[in-house]
Parts: sequence; C-alpha cells; structure tokens
Amino acid sequence: MSDFLLTQIINYGAPILGAIVFIGAMGAPFPGTLIVIAAGAFSKQGILSWYTTGFVALVCVVLGDSLSYGMGYYARERILRRFQNSERWAQAEASFNRWGGMSVFWTRFLITGIAVPVNLIAGTSNFRFQRFFLYDLLGESIWIFGYGGLGYLFGTQWEVVSDVLSNMSGLTLGFVILAIGVWLGIRQLKKNSAAASSG
Amino acid sequence: MSLLKQRILIISIIIMGILAVGFFGLRAVRAARHIRDGGYGPGNPPLPPNETDVELIRDWMTLPYIARTYGAPDRMLFKELKIPDEGNREKSLKELNDKYFPEQAGFVLDEVKKAINDHRPPTPPTVPVP
Repeated sequence: MSDFLLTQIINYGAPILGAIVFIGAMGAPFPGTLIVIAAGAFSKQGILSWYTTGFVALVCVVLGDSLSYGMGYYARERILRRFQNSERWAQAEASFNRWGGMSVFWTRFLITGIAVPVNLIAGTSNFRFQRFFLYDLLGESIWIFGYGGLGYLFGTQWEVVSDVLSNMSGLTLGFVILAIGVWLGIRQLKKNSAAASSG
Repeated sequence: MSLLKQRILIISIIIMGILAVGFFGLRAVRAARHIRDGGYGPGNPPLPPNETDVELIRDWMTLPYIARTYGAPDRMLFKELKIPDEGNREKSLKELNDKYFPEQAGFVLDEVKKAINDHRPPTPPTVPVP
C-alpha cells in the first residue's frame, strides 16, 4: 500500500497527497505519517513545492477530520436513544468536554492511531466544533509541517526518521493504554477497600 | 459487570499496554541507534547535490524520479532496460518488472542500480598530503 501511494505522489504531487490525508482522516488505514515525511523529502528534492503541498495537505486533513467529527455528530441522535438518561454517558460526555481539546491536539501527531475514534467521540459527545477545529488545526499543523520538515531535513534518508516516529507513536499509545489500565486498577482497589471497610 | 470480569479486563489492558511499550520501545531504540550510528540527520555533513548511494533506490520509484535524484539522464535508464519510455514514465520499478521481466524478480531494480553506478564519473584519485 505505502509503495503504491508513494509512486502516485511522485507522479501526481500535492493533489494526490491531499486526497490520501483526507481519506486517512476519515478512517482509511493509510500510512499517513510515512507519506507526510516522504512528501517533505520530495520537497527538498524539488519534486513538490513545500508551501503548496503543505497548504493542500493541511486543508485536506482538517476537512477530513471535520467530516469524521460530523459523522459522530449526526450519529449522536442514535447513540443518545441507546444511552438515554444514562449516568455513565453523561460522565463520559462531561469528561470529554473537559479533556477533549488536549485529546484532539495530541492525537493529531503523537498518537495518530486513535485520531479517528477521537473525532467521532468529539462529534458524538457534543464537543463544540469551534474548539475541535482550533485544536485540530494546531495539531495537524505540527503533523504536516513538523513531520514534513523532518523529511525535508533528512532528504533521501527520510525512511530512517519515519521508522523512529512511527515507533514513537506506538510507544506513546502503549503508555496511554498502560496508564488507563493502572488507573482503572487503582480505582477498583479503592472501591474494594471502601466496600470492605463499610461492610 | 461482575467483579471477576472487571479484574480480567483491567489485567488485559495492563498486559496490552506493557506489550505495546516493550514492542514499540525496542523498535524505537533500534531505529534511533540506526540514526546515531549511521551518521544521518541535520547535524551531519550535508548530502551531496545528487544522491550517490544506490542502495536507497526502491521498487516504488519511477525511472524519471530516480534519474532526477541521481543526476542521470532518464533516457539512459530506459535505454539500459531496453524498454520504451512512452507509457512507462509513471510506472514504478516493480510495475516495469512485472510488465517486461515477469520471470526475473528484482531484475529492473538491479539493472537500474548498475546503470546509475556505471554512469557516475570516476572518482578522482586521492592525493596524499605531504
């Protein structure tokens, strides 16, 4: 898949890169980070113009994210019917409204594997679109220009930096999963000890 | 959810987290070492105007792209492979291989590497410093 996409980028340039990040932002399993780093390297080689490519990619990825936010937003009705008056749903919604901005921001470039679920949750949980858009734009700017910039710096040796960054993303996701597990474990232990002392 | 099910879920999440941290952590360290030991990156001497390491040529590249990257005329590459450039300029090395040399896997890649190496001007002999 990556090989096919890379060939298309060197043949057709920024429009195809825009299409790839747009479709990727809506959930297609494309290797977005690798493609963005490669595009930075292609800019250094003069195959792509860095400002046109950067601008097109940024507009397309933000559009894709907004669309997947929209999908969550319009699925809200159905989900609310299912969880109507559920206290847990209200808690989840409140907690996303509190921490959602940071979730949107960090998942744009660091924990990219869960970016699409975060878009859907943001839309579903009534997180304000203006806030979503702002954090999304900031995070995606780092993804496009920061990662693309690394590709530009490393030039034809961009594959090595892509390798490090994709593993760092997986590592961060691993730490997040571990932290959630430990937090749930501690909460469970506290509940158990409270129940034991009251009983 | 019963207490037992909750415990199993929490333990599974922790195990998944540990496995992910171990797996990606090792890979990240290996990749970072590769950068450090390979002399890559912005802190190292700048890349030559045209790339010289043919080992960086990949199957997804097209002949015009390789020609541009390595400062070689693309017609020369088509001529070496004995294939027409019309209709083939946007094809990757793998696609060219599948189309023209399906029985020889990796033939186009090897030929292109060889052609680029042959095209290079001979390196001037190093003069010993007195």
